[in-house]
Amino acid sequence: MKIDVNKLKEIVGEDNVTDEVADRYIYASDSSVHQSMPECVVRPGSAVEVQKIMRYANKNKIPVIPRGAGSGMSGHAVPIDGGIVLDMKRMDRILEIRPEDVLCKVEPGVINDELNRQLKPSGFFFPPTPSSGKICTIGGMIGTNASGIRSVKYGATRDAVIGMKVVLANGDLVTMGSNTRVDSSGYQLSRLMVGSEGTLGIVVEATLLISPLPRYRAMGVANFATLEDAGRMISSVIAEGVTPSMLELMDNVAITAVNNAQNLGLPDVAAIVVFECNGMVKEAIDFDMKRIKKICEKNNGTGIRVSDDPKEMTRIYEGRKKLFPSLSRYKEGLVTTALADDMAVPMSKIAECVHEIHDIAKRNNVVMSAYGHCGSGLIHTKILMDTSKKQQWEDAKHAVDEVYKYVYKIGGTTSGEHGVALSKAPSWKEEKKDSLEMMKAIKKALDPNNILNPHKLMDAPDDWVTATDLRYQVTS
Amino acid sequence: MTAKNLKKFDKEMNVCIRCAYCFEECPVIKQVGWDSDGARGKVILSYGLLAGELAPSQHIADKLYQCTFCRDCMERCPSNVKIIDIISSARADLVDAGFASDTHNHVINNIKNTGNIYGDTEVISPEQDGKTPLFIGCQYLSRPNKTKKYIKILEKLDINPVVKKEICCGFPMEALGFRKEFKTHKEKFQKAFPFKEAITFCPTCTVFLREGYGIDAKHVLQVILEKIPKADLGMKVTYHDPCDFSRGLKIIDEPRKILEKLGVEVVEMKNSKEQSSCCGGGGGILMSDQTLSDSIAKKRIKQAIETGADTVVTSCPTCETVLKKAAAEIGESEGENIVVRNIEDIIWKGLK
Repeated sequence: MKIDVNKLKEIVGEDNVTDEVADRYIYASDSSVHQSMPECVVRPGSAVEVQKIMRYANKNKIPVIPRGAGSGMSGHAVPIDGGIVLDMKRMDRILEIRPEDVLCKVEPGVINDELNRQLKPSGFFFPPTPSSGKICTIGGMIGTNASGIRSVKYGATRDAVIGMKVVLANGDLVTMGSNTRVDSSGYQLSRLMVGSEGTLGIVVEATLLISPLPRYRAMGVANFATLEDAGRMISSVIAEGVTPSMLELMDNVAITAVNNAQNLGLPDVAAIVVFECNGMVKEAIDFDMKRIKKICEKNNGTGIRVSDDPKEMTRIYEGRKKLFPSLSRYKEGLVTTALADDMAVPMSKIAECVHEIHDIAKRNNVVMSAYGHCGSGLIHTKILMDTSKKQQWEDAKHAVDEVYKYVYKIGGTTSGEHGVALSKAPSWKEEKKDSLEMMKAIKKALDPNNILNPHKLMDAPDDWVTATDLRYQVTS
Repeated sequence: MTAKNLKKFDKEMNVCIRCAYCFEECPVIKQVGWDSDGARGKVILSYGLLAGELAPSQHIADKLYQCTFCRDCMERCPSNVKIIDIISSARADLVDAGFASDTHNHVINNIKNTGNIYGDTEVISPEQDGKTPLFIGCQYLSRPNKTKKYIKILEKLDINPVVKKEICCGFPMEALGFRKEFKTHKEKFQKAFPFKEAITFCPTCTVFLREGYGIDAKHVLQVILEKIPKADLGMKVTYHDPCDFSRGLKIIDEPRKILEKLGVEVVEMKNSKEQSSCCGGGGGILMSDQTLSDSIAKKRIKQAIETGADTVVTSCPTCETVLKKAAAEIGESEGENIVVRNIEDIIWKGLK
């Protein structure tokens, strides 16, 4: 059915609807490999407007795809079936900051770092720290259950969301969860919404747990000649009861890329581990940093450096946070694609997994980097390839398939924090085959007309390469 | 559309992994809000034009001209994508496809016909003999009193530059996408200004003499820093870094050191130095979208007011003009006042 753009303009105002082909082209893609145009883009400014849009869309069976910054890597915001993209960035108000209750209430378009800027005067922060924190929205973080580099200590978004208001497919506004840390009875619907990738409802308000800002922080780096040593170091830190606030691995591809793009001058070694401890008592941090240092030494770490100098810490921290985009400068002619970008494996398997990823890359004529929040067992990779060649997409498809088959074999999971959407859906469906029907039943109950971000997760096509157009020009 | 200018950025546009890190402080997306307003959106539009997936249109042209060339996106892009080169190439292809606006055509004709962006036939270069060549630039030439003041400052500091009759550096041609016109103009410019080094007054001209001509251009503030005597003006100001200074030339400390020498205390705005917010006057936006330019400038003035200083100092004639207008409007509508001064006024005061 053709969308009545004037009807939508009546709801949100003339300036907040576009069906210009150029705008639709931009909203056809995110940071994934996919491309598919919506019929229009709408920027709601309130929950009431979202309700009206959903009532209209539900009545007319029009797909609605919520979108934050559009930085998702698996195609969450790509409208596979056209319809309306809801750009939620206009709903960016911080509604309440309640330090006495250790919570805040925000609209979904609030940017993660902006929230932290506003929380700082109260001495608090919102713990999930995705690398994209400077631009990603809370709504997007909820959609994918983002976690980030401090997940090893603070957990993921799901651990920090205790309540929310959600507009359902039929336009009803529902309050879920509570204002308390504990809420024991019944189905935990707000937790269900986290990670649902916009398929069950449109989050219009979230109640988030906040944490006191740590008074002290120290950061360290260690180099490793083998991935095995780095992997053992990481699992030993966790197994020995140290609680780092960051425990990150970068392989040699990642090191080269960061050096090329950001001129960081990191050593050319098999792996670098970046670690951080934070807290309220300096002596406790010093104690933990010493323990980590010893673990590094025990596992043949070299060039071990510990610093509490804010400038030095910012340099290391920012270098790590910009790793994904830096991969684009790894080698001339190779394009970074967000494929096989995210997985989690048992801690003891990290080194083996990184080796396997490198072997898979070699076998399939692509380059793959491995890095990530390994303190949480989370590994990120990307596939670097010549996107103009048809054969390379076949290679990438095999590589993705092999990576996830291996990940399940060792007891891991498809997505640690980036979500599944389209690119990872075929592998994820294989992993979750026992519970797919249950998930489909939930989706059907909440969205009988299948209008909320359709064809994602369990409903995604079985072949991600042909699920949508690719956003690259494939010429040969 | 042939997209012949964009063609050489085919691979570069795929280096952009569309992470959206460029959204962080982009003055345009912060003001307008659509994804199409940020650098990522502009790169995607350019890619669409090159790939033939988008036909050129007025809407696309409007979006691609809604950019201040402040380079904030490039400062933040972890992939170091050549965003400004991509946007100016897209503009060039759009101009070739017939999407040049009347306002832009008017400016380009002014340069072609008079050698000055304002078409100001009264403009006279204060020709004189001296040592290092001085390039004054259209903005200062059209403000003869400011030019005289700066030349007198140089004289007082025992710097005697040579001044020739000059014509526009041609930056507007390149920025607005009039590359064919620039090719012809470049030859004219090189005849009129056949030097390998220069002292300059305008930050934008400084960048363009370096990037467009390979001239070793030094901004006057870099030249006079060591020669400025100490003074005790006892002022408290905030300093607005022109984008071509902070991100284009990395001239960040020099103006602050000069102000410090003159006994002027600088309180920093929320966004300053490399992270400075744009005034809203660059990249041709002043001609393309006055309303947008005004709203960006007002946002910057509000940041300046938040510091508690009663004066905001800058080092760029465009920033000065745009911020003065915004300050006046905010003063009138909201009753909050701040004075906008160019740094040469402060230096002049300190040298008296």
